This record gives sequence, structure tokens and C-alpha cells, in this order.
Amino acid sequence: MSAVVTPGVTFARGLVRDRRAALGFTLVLIAVLAAIAAPLIAPFDPDTPDFGAALAPPSVMHLLGTDDLGRDVLSRVIFGARISLFVGFFSVAGALVLGTGLGLVAGYFGGLADSIIMRVMDVVFAFPSILLALAIAAVLGPSLVNAVLAIAIVNLPVFARIARAQTLVVRQLDFVEAKRALGFGTANILFRTVMPNTLAPIIVQGSLLFAAAIITESYLSFLGLGAQPPTPTWGNMLRNAIGFLDFAPWLAWFPGAAIFLTVLGFNLLGDALRDTFDPREG
Amino acid sequence: MGNFLLSRIASLIPILFGTSLVAFFLVRLIPGDPAIALLGLEADEQAIAALRAKLALDQPLVLQYVAWLKQILTGDFGRSIQGGREVFPLLIGALGPTALLSVAALLISLVIAIPAGIVAATRRNSLADYGASFAALCGLSMPSFWLGVLLILTFSIYVPILPASGYVSPLVDPLRFLSFLVLPALTLGAALAAATMRMTRATMLEVLRADYVRTARAKGIPARKVIWRHAFRNAQIPIVTLLGIQMGQLLGGVVITETVFSWPGIGKLTVDAIFARDYPVVQGAVLLTATLFVLINLLTDIIYTLIDPRVSLA
Repeated sequence: MSAVVTPGVTFARGLVRDRRAALGFTLVLIAVLAAIAAPLIAPFDPDTPDFGAALAPPSVMHLLGTDDLGRDVLSRVIFGARISLFVGFFSVAGALVLGTGLGLVAGYFGGLADSIIMRVMDVVFAFPSILLALAIAAVLGPSLVNAVLAIAIVNLPVFARIARAQTLVVRQLDFVEAKRALGFGTANILFRTVMPNTLAPIIVQGSLLFAAAIITESYLSFLGLGAQPPTPTWGNMLRNAIGFLDFAPWLAWFPGAAIFLTVLGFNLLGDALRDTFDPREG
Repeated sequence: MGNFLLSRIASLIPILFGTSLVAFFLVRLIPGDPAIALLGLEADEQAIAALRAKLALDQPLVLQYVAWLKQILTGDFGRSIQGGREVFPLLIGALGPTALLSVAALLISLVIAIPAGIVAATRRNSLADYGASFAALCGLSMPSFWLGVLLILTFSIYVPILPASGYVSPLVDPLRFLSFLVLPALTLGAALAAATMRMTRATMLEVLRADYVRTARAKGIPARKVIWRHAFRNAQIPIVTLLGIQMGQLLGGVVITETVFSWPGIGKLTVDAIFARDYPVVQGAVLLTATLFVLINLLTDIIYTLIDPRVSLA
């Protein structure tokens, strides 16, 4: 079991020693806390308009100013964290579970199953991811759930390819042969023995794709294909800000900064994770 | 080489078949009658009936696909719902601005990333290295539309020296074209520069450790010459590969950048068509972009094997 424990311990140690990782962890933690405790820490209701205070610049009352309907930008940025992390988490988790499963099956059984699964994955991979996510969101209609679906589908082939490559290596190892010889069922071998040994690179990739998924969600929202107003998302807040750049630029500063800092956090963490699992790089 | 090319091209067939299926089903998955989706709600009965016959909508799905594929292969992508223009010339017309923007972005990214990557690698763990590496990570984490908006704020509103959006053909007014080009090209180039810088730094670090670089140094060749002649030349191969991959990614990146800056390329065309429910244009744009993406990746593979004699062609 030492192979499973060591990276975790190394990672925890690295977090303390490596300032990059510590910064990343802090940024992600802030976003997660904001998302969980949004109703407690947001100073105003994010959706209640106050037309008397519309387009007010940052002040003591409204730390990050107000938007064109007089809604508090700080509160909306805090609530926006919920959408970004929700979409990021569920799209990556969904793609990870399904993609890993497909990759395991393709790699373990080979033959026709392998050919069919991987050719389909090749086709998904043949589209620039933003374009495919856009097309899917456009056909399914704009909504939060469809944004999750679109981003998950786009990320499927990444996990399937890694899981398949890992499985091809692991299935030939002695301990897998041994279990087969002992008469264990296929499902047991696949999920109890092969899968745990494919997970390390999949988790590293997952942390990096989490960052990418948050950006893709913000693109979809920015184009109007994500969660619909009045639900605040960082992307649709920026979309709204475009109309007021001349006289209310703070509307553009803060949602963008929120995306940037959260994604930076996940990228820093992902880099640190990769260094832990693959010490050759960096 | 001939065999390699043939097998590589043959491997495209199932992928192109698959992308055509995706584009085909894109319209079939829209709830309701595909003929109405393709003609718009205001279309008259006669036109709808004619299109239903043309698309073979009363026949099994397989035959519908064959009928559609026949049209596509002859360049008949249908007509745009808005204005009734033919889709194919519309797509070809949008490719020009997209290509110009992409090339400019790639050039900007190379000018920034290659020197930065080399400096970071040759002075590893220096302040310059940390600075460049952190800047690259920031570039990767920056959503491109936010960078675009910040550039507009800075150069069009606070210090108004460049236009916020628009386009003029370089054949009509080259100078104004350049003034429109600067901000979107910077926006698109920044993310590319970040990835290229990281790759340049990583491969240079590897090459600088190689024996022949140590030999060159030991012979007393000036450091500058060692870096450029001996090290960088060998670091180019992975960088060229990355550039190929980025050419493909640009096809996705332009979607956002062109929308922010109203740049009349294939990305803006796609987004506008999605919102206008102009499905013939969406279908054509998706098919064209995916095909280009696949072809660019093929070219990258071929160039890669040509410049690196170590890659086996078997």
C-alpha cells in the first residue's frame, strides 16, 4: 500500500514547503468557502434590484460597486462561485467516471469494444472543445445542466485515453494474471485491481481539467449559453458588463478577477500534483 | 514514407465520417421538424415541402444521411436562414479574417514566448525564471474574454489609442486593418505564448543537460552560440509540434476573441448563427471547423516525422 500513501504524504509536505502549491490551495479554498457559505457572507441578496443605487462605483456600502439594476457586485461574485465550482466539479467528475469506465473496458477487453469506443472518442476529440461545447449547448438549449453535460462530453476522450493506456499496461502485470488464475470474476478484477492502479494520472489530469472546465463554463455563460439570468455567474456578469465599459468598468474587473484567481488556484494545485506524481517534470 | 502517409490518411476516414455524423445529427436533434429548423419559422409551405423531399425526410435515417452527404460533397451546404445567402461562400469568406487573426496571434506568441522560455531555462531558478514562469501560469489561467475586456478598457477607454472593435480588409486600408488587429491578436496570442513559453523552457532545460552541449561548452564555444546553434536547434522539434496543436486550438480560441472584438471570422459567424438559430450555417461551420482541425493535426504529424529523423515511420 505504500505506493498509495506516499504521494499523499509527499503532496501534503509539498503543500507546506512549496509556496506555489500553498498559494494555489489558498485560492481554491477561498473559492470553495465562498461557494459553501455564500448566503452567510454575502452582504446583500444577489438578485434583489435596488434601482436607486444602480451603477454605483465601489464604496464602503457596496465594496465592489453595483450593476445596472443596482444589485451588489460583491454578493453576486460570491454567489457566482457556486455556479463555477458546481459546473467544474460535476462536469469533470462525470467525464472522469464515464471516461475512465470506457477506457478501462476498451483497454481490458480490446478487440471490437476497443475499436468502437476509441473511434467514437477520436471523433469527439476531432472538434475544438469550445466549439463542440457551444454546439451541444446550442442544440440542448441554454441551461446550467446542459452546460455541465456539454463540458463533460468534451472532456470524455481525455480520461478514456489515459485510462485505456494505463489499463493496457496494468492488465499484463503478474498480480492481475494471478487473480485471473484464481478465478476472480471480470468485474472484480477490473474494478478492484485494475482501476485503482490507473487512477494517479487520471486524478492529476482531473485537477488540471477542473481549471479548464471553469474557463469553458465562463465562456458558455459569457456567450449566454450557461445558467440563465438572474442567476449570477462570473461569465454572464462579464457579458452584462460589456455594455457599460465606458462608465462602469468595475462591472468587468471583479467577475473576471474571480475567474482568473480561481483558475490560477487550480492550475497551481494541478502543477504541484503533477510534480508529486511525476517528479521528472518541473 | 509513402506507407506512413497512406495509413495516416486512411485513419482520417473514420474520423471524418464521425464528424459528418455529428454535424448531421446536430440538426436532427433539434426538437421539431428539421426542414422548419433549416428554413426558419417564416418559411412557406411549398419551400418546406421541397426541402423535406430534398433531405429525404420521409425515408429512413440512413438514406437521409446519404442524401445529405451527397449535397455536402458537392459544396451544397444549404442557404442561410437570415438573408438566404448560400452557406458555403459565407464560410469561405469568414476564413480569411480568421486566418489573418490566427497568424498574427501565433507570431505575437512566438516573439514573446521563445526568448522568455530560453532566458528562463538558461538562468534556471533566477528571478527572471520565476517571473517568466509565473507570468506564463497567469496567462494560462486568464479567460481570454477578460483579457480582451481589460485591453479594451486600457487602450480604447483609459488611453484611447486603438479601436475597441471592428474590421477593415487589409486590401482596403492596411493601416486601419492593423489598428483593428492589435488588441484581438494580443488577446489570442497571450494564451498561446503562455503554453509555448512553458514548452520552450522545459525542452531547453532537457537539451542543456545533454552531453553535446557540455562538449560544445568545453570546446570554448561562446555561450550565446551554444544556446542558439546547439541547444535551441534541438529544442525546436517539440516546440514545432506544440505550434501545430495550437493552430488547431486557435480554431476554438477565435470563437471567443472574435465575439468580443466583433471580428468577422468563422468564430463570430458560428456564435451569431447559434443565436439566430441559423442551423444551416451552424452545421456548415461545425463541419468545416472540425475538418480543418483534423487536417491541421494530420499536417502536424507529417511535419513532425519530417523534421525529426528519430521518429519511426513504421
